Amino acid sequence: MNPESPLIHTKHVFRAAILLLAVLIAMVLGRSAFVPKTWGEFGRYRGAAVTDFRQKPIRHGGDESCAMCHDEEYAEHAAGAHASVQCELCHGPVTVHVDLEEGKVLAEMPVRRSRELCELCHRRLAARPAEFPQIDIREHVTDNGGELTDDACFACHDPHSPL
Amino acid sequence: MAPDDTRPDRSHYPISRRQFLHRSGAAFAGGMVIALILPEGSSAGVAGADYDWDRHRWVYLIDTTKCIGCGACVRACRAENAVPQGNYRTWVERYEIPPEAEPYVDSPSGGEHGFDPVTTSMNVRKAFFVPKLCNHCKATPCIQVCPVGASFATHDGVVLVDGEHCIGCGYCVQACPYGSRFINPETRTADKCTLCYHRITKGLKTACIKICPVGARRLGDRENPDDPVIEILATSRVEVLQPELLTRPKCFYLGLDMEVR
Repeated sequence: MNPESPLIHTKHVFRAAILLLAVLIAMVLGRSAFVPKTWGEFGRYRGAAVTDFRQKPIRHGGDESCAMCHDEEYAEHAAGAHASVQCELCHGPVTVHVDLEEGKVLAEMPVRRSRELCELCHRRLAARPAEFPQIDIREHVTDNGGELTDDACFACHDPHSPL
Repeated sequence: MAPDDTRPDRSHYPISRRQFLHRSGAAFAGGMVIALILPEGSSAGVAGADYDWDRHRWVYLIDTTKCIGCGACVRACRAENAVPQGNYRTWVERYEIPPEAEPYVDSPSGGEHGFDPVTTSMNVRKAFFVPKLCNHCKATPCIQVCPVGASFATHDGVVLVDGEHCIGCGYCVQACPYGSRFINPETRTADKCTLCYHRITKGLKTACIKICPVGARRLGDRENPDDPVIEILATSRVEVLQPELLTRPKCFYLGLDMEVR
């Protein structure tokens, strides 16, 4: 080609264009591979994450799920002073105990009948609301002629209906 | 010796290296093109028939005058959400404030196993418990600092972390002024209260609210005109933690003291 011709640089431009195109294609392909499919569905995050959170397993069933089998205890508890205390507060989440869909017992409900359990709520603490029933267990047991054993509370109180 | 003799004999290989590279390159490009053309998967169900997140705006109300510090909420949260030992999505703090002295604040194991009586000679005349959790702020610092878009807010006002997308850099843990976030030692990603998103989107209360024996924790919905919690927010004097930071928390408190941060 004539070195004076203005077309002398065509080849360079063409090469640069091809290179640019290649970079562009690589970028688009890379983006499609690495950006999650539902990205941007609702905002600058992975849309499917919302569904993932919704599908996490429910572990606490509430008193009603316990009543399915233990209707006697449920009725006694619901009529007592501990009605506002969920079964699962002392007994732990129901799904440890039964598979509610299969109706299969998985394990016993682990509850430790000790005064520590009662003291979680009823030990006298300055920070507790004054109107909430609370005791100094040593004082309370000896005043009532009891012996301060690990399960001293249950000599007089049934935790399902304590009063 | 002829130079050819030093090369290993590859005549029994089904294809040559050059062919292999050519074909795998073509297959990769082809796969990419197909992936590009295929319709994008949708996460149906978010705004599906069973739950419309545009028709709820969740708020949380804590009545500190009711809390007895039993720690049931902390235990329930751990069980419901498989929170690793040593980390807390919710916890309970105890404030014991003597007159004209520094307040004594403690939260042994996040209050998970209850509280022992404080054995100090302080003349405490003001004491109370303060349950804490993620405030699900409206102007949240944690989402702002996330460099990869793993932290986000849902339409119904819940701040969540996508564990699959999180790179575990910990910026959000440092950005949160309430200490509500932590790096989960099992997943190595940021973790926090989800407001039991799996429960509230199915009409249930969060585990901590459900288990609370004295009703110190309550869930409200601003889109529900008859919501008793929204009624309390409208008629009572409620506070938020560290309002001076302008994070606009959606977790409201009754009976806070000026010493509570």
